[in-house]
Amino acid sequence: MNIRKISTYVDEVLTEGGRPVDPPARTAVVVAVIENPWAGQGFVEDLAPGIDATASDLGKLLAARVVEALGGPVEAFGKAAIVGLDGEVEHGSALIHTLKFGDHFRKAAEASTLLPAVEKRAGAGSVFDIPLKHVTDATIRSHHQSIEVRVADAPHPNEIVVGLAAAEQGRPQARLAPLSTER
Amino acid sequence: MSAQIRKVCTIVEDLHSELGSPVATPVRRAAVAAVIANPWAGRGVVATLDDEVVEVAPSVAHQLTSRLVDALGGVDRVQAFGKAAIVGTGGEIEHAGALIHTPYFGNLLRELTEGESIIVFSDDRADAGASLTVPMWHKLHAATRSHYQTIAVRVPDAPRADEIVVVAAGSTGGRPNARIGDRSSDPDVRLADLPLDRHINNSLERVR
Repeated sequence: MNIRKISTYVDEVLTEGGRPVDPPARTAVVVAVIENPWAGQGFVEDLAPGIDATASDLGKLLAARVVEALGGPVEAFGKAAIVGLDGEVEHGSALIHTLKFGDHFRKAAEASTLLPAVEKRAGAGSVFDIPLKHVTDATIRSHHQSIEVRVADAPHPNEIVVGLAAAEQGRPQARLAPLSTER
Repeated sequence: MSAQIRKVCTIVEDLHSELGSPVATPVRRAAVAAVIANPWAGRGVVATLDDEVVEVAPSVAHQLTSRLVDALGGVDRVQAFGKAAIVGTGGEIEHAGALIHTPYFGNLLRELTEGESIIVFSDDRADAGASLTVPMWHKLHAATRSHYQTIAVRVPDAPRADEIVVVAAGSTGGRPNARIGDRSSDPDVRLADLPLDRHINNSLERVR
């Protein structure tokens, strides 16, 4: 795995809707900009060897970094793979849609649900939104949220941006009735 | 009145490789952006900005710089710095300048990073989500060419029209593969000595 750079983003929201948010709502994102393991190989039928060579190490690295960046318990989480223009979206999906990638984060976050994800193919500097849901119950409505990310110079055509997002809480002023009340 | 901060965004970039090869010197760059209420919003062209500068700029400088130093791993790790502001469309560029170009911001940023240089900057007036390239240079010797570098800063939902995004930026080193010399090793380049071809010479003559 060839990592060009690792970028960390931490958002702290102190007011929302004109009212204080106390404690501030914290969300962290860590992305690694890596060389696409299948770059320059044309259509690769069997992606398993590339997944085995990359996904677990990447998931481990990102999980440790995003938990550290958040600095507190992870209540909501999500993931992203943005493939450079010369790759397939399948390449990004290959790296993040495997337990080898996500289990590191689930373990670190004491989580039990699947990670919501964004996958797309885009040029360097494209904006993408990472969806986040509650780490143990994906139906908890207060924790449905997303965070917007942009890496100014990535992905290059032969790169993939792979990221994890973590939030200490739900939306800053969440006040919607829970799903159960509508059943 | 102190600064009314809506949110604080921290960006950290660790640079490991370029064009597929490990970089000579891995570098960490960081920027911290505070989204604050424009203290002059809705008041037209305010003649004197001093009072609000004294009340708002120091606390913003302190909060941004302490986070910046923390993100870079301590003050001893900070080698380069820069600053920036993006004022929302309901404000003046002068408002951005007021918050970053006075001692109430700059001196604090310099002191907390143990710097001595003048601090390089960028500013803009823009809608929310604008990306601003924030320049940095060496905190002690501004002319150190290896340390000329930038970091892109963007807050998706700021600034609103009545807000200002204020930024402090820093780096633990120079460019990761810096190799374009320095002032001390530069030849004395003069236009008349350059072997320019006739076409370029003609163009330059026209410019003169």
